[in-house]
Amino acid sequence: MEIMRLVVTGPVGAGKSTFIRSVSEIEVVDTDRRATDEVADMKHKTTVALDFGRLQFGPQHALHLYGTPGQARFDFMWDILIRRAHAYILLVAAHRPHEFRYARRMLMFMEQRTQVPLLLGMTHCDLPGAWAEDNLMLALGYVPGRPRPPVMVVNANDRTSVAQAIIALVQHSMAQQGSFIP
Amino acid sequence: MALNLEKLSSVLQNFVSGTADVQGAALVTPDGLPLTSTLPSGMDEERVSAMSAAMLSLGERIGSELARGSIDRIFVEGDKGYGILTSCTEDAVFLVLADKAAKQGVLMLEIKRSLAELKLLLA
Ligand SMILES: Nc1nc2c(ncn2[C@@H]2O[C@H](COP(=O)(O)OP(=O)(O)OP(=O)(O)O)[C@@H](O)[C@H]2O)c(=O)[nH]1
Ligand SMILES: [Mg+2]
Repeated sequence: MEIMRLVVTGPVGAGKSTFIRSVSEIEVVDTDRRATDEVADMKHKTTVALDFGRLQFGPQHALHLYGTPGQARFDFMWDILIRRAHAYILLVAAHRPHEFRYARRMLMFMEQRTQVPLLLGMTHCDLPGAWAEDNLMLALGYVPGRPRPPVMVVNANDRTSVAQAIIALVQHSMAQQGSFIP
Repeated sequence: MALNLEKLSSVLQNFVSGTADVQGAALVTPDGLPLTSTLPSGMDEERVSAMSAAMLSLGERIGSELARGSIDRIFVEGDKGYGILTSCTEDAVFLVLADKAAKQGVLMLEIKRSLAELKLLLA
């Protein structure tokens, strides 16, 4: 059995834990705790260490899905998780533009530590105020001419949508590295 | 939550100064925010708090997943000393940093004593 480690990262509330919960075949390991900071205004719980889920991918391959915390005080977990990733996905809530700059900082953090394939997942696109892809990419620093990672709309609550994102990431990863062939 | 931070902090200070070979202690929320702390200089309170919460959450999960029951404490032993994490109440995690010279039995007893005081204040 070959194991591919996928890391799911992104700002608080982007949908990392939900994403993993939507597709995992095992009961996910979550480390969500009641939020006592400003996150509590948005949602009840927040991840303090990691999420872990698993997904069988063909007879010979298993995907291990690791979700990071969103808050910068847990950046030691970002570091631990990203260094071992075979590929990663950064989720951004498209309707919360005030978080784009933070997402961009997270991207830089990851890019300083890994060169593995990346996919950008835009969540919350069904909600009012969601930015269009081109504008969001600009806000994340992908100015014209700069190579862009693939981008997708993802609804973390929707199993099919999450599965599509994972397949796209695995394919992107195969195209880039040619190593992981389910 | 009307926390009496002053009293909590004095319990921590008494514990650190009154227990041999204890170098620091912190009381943090389960989502990794500092409530109060007395830490060795150069140690960042915010980082210590986040790490405490992460470690306790994983330890608790490992405890249940590997059928160890509910977790009393998490014990990290390095060649320079100990880090001991105890869940204090639903709203607080207690971290103690001790020198390698610390006597474990005494340490555990003192931690237990302080925990009782902290629990009263947090109730
Ligand atoms: N409407 C809508 N809601 C979404 C979408 N994706 C995720 N959500 C919701 O957004 C929230 C995300 O919460 P979590 O999964 O805990 O977010 P997280 O990224 O793990 O957050 P932290 O662990 O705190 O960093 C959940 O309430 C999801 O139901 C989407 O595409 N559309
Ligand atoms: Mg989460």
